[in-house]
Amino acid sequence: MRGVTETLRSRLWQAHTAEWWRTMANVSHDADPVERVVELHLPSRLGYEKVAMDAAASVARRMGFSADRVDALRTALAEAVTNAIEHGNAHNADTRVLVILTVRPSELVVSVADQGFKPIDKAQIAPAPSIEDSFSRADKGGWGIWLIRELMDEVEFTTAPTGGNQVRMVIHLEKQS
Amino acid sequence: MHKVSPPLSIKLSIPSEFGYERVVREAVASFARRVGVASERVEDLKTAVSEACLNAIEHGNAQMPGTRVDVNCVWENDVLMVRVLDHGLRRYAGHVAPCIACKVHGEAPPRGMGLYLIAQLVDTCGFESSPDGGNVLYMSMHTRAMA
Repeated sequence: MRGVTETLRSRLWQAHTAEWWRTMANVSHDADPVERVVELHLPSRLGYEKVAMDAAASVARRMGFSADRVDALRTALAEAVTNAIEHGNAHNADTRVLVILTVRPSELVVSVADQGFKPIDKAQIAPAPSIEDSFSRADKGGWGIWLIRELMDEVEFTTAPTGGNQVRMVIHLEKQS
Repeated sequence: MHKVSPPLSIKLSIPSEFGYERVVREAVASFARRVGVASERVEDLKTAVSEACLNAIEHGNAQMPGTRVDVNCVWENDVLMVRVLDHGLRRYAGHVAPCIACKVHGEAPPRGMGLYLIAQLVDTCGFESSPDGGNVLYMSMHTRAMA
């Protein structure tokens, strides 16, 4: 019985993942001639957010962002991908995190989507958690979203086309004076 | 005792434009470091991956606007396998050992070393057939020193 359940569960995961890939494959590329898109699929395992951070930093440097802004982007992206791995994908090894970097003449749009096994807690999107609440938490966490809002120029929490959680972050390229 | 590691993978897709190979280079290097490739070998891999992407952009996709280069990296059983896929607008395969002396003396173009270089930098490399007709260049690297 256990064997059957395991097989069934594995099939369900596979079906879900396949559907997710299909939906994601329909994302149009370079629809706008001045827009360039880099897509990155990551395993849901802590540590691999580094791959997204390094890829995004490379894009941002290429666009001409200052070292400070590149660091801010790295930190915000680390938080967003970590949230996707820990919460949205609930550490499930069969799930993936999709990071899409859209390069525009005056801004970089970074979107992070998970497979939504756990919807994002609306209370977490609130402007800032209280420090007292954080201290009472075992992990002392809960500051990720606040941090993302502090670091990025625009932040939006939406539902991905696949039904997962999606965070869309925008960082503006300031004109050199 | 040999520990069999579960496969881990990343997928990357870039616009087929010069410059974006750097994004692939950074992402693949980051993944390689994560799975335990020694740092000097990561540098070799970065060079090989850059060359492979440049070939895909320049030859496989013939610098056609709107095309893409896809890169898949899989780490399984202590082997990191990187595949670079293009649209195959132009086929290219095999590597000809270049006449280095000719290049140094300016009698041959300085470019055209990509595949030769890749072969020197990774453990194995070659071309695979692709169902949709694109070029698929694979490169592999062991993540632990061979005893």
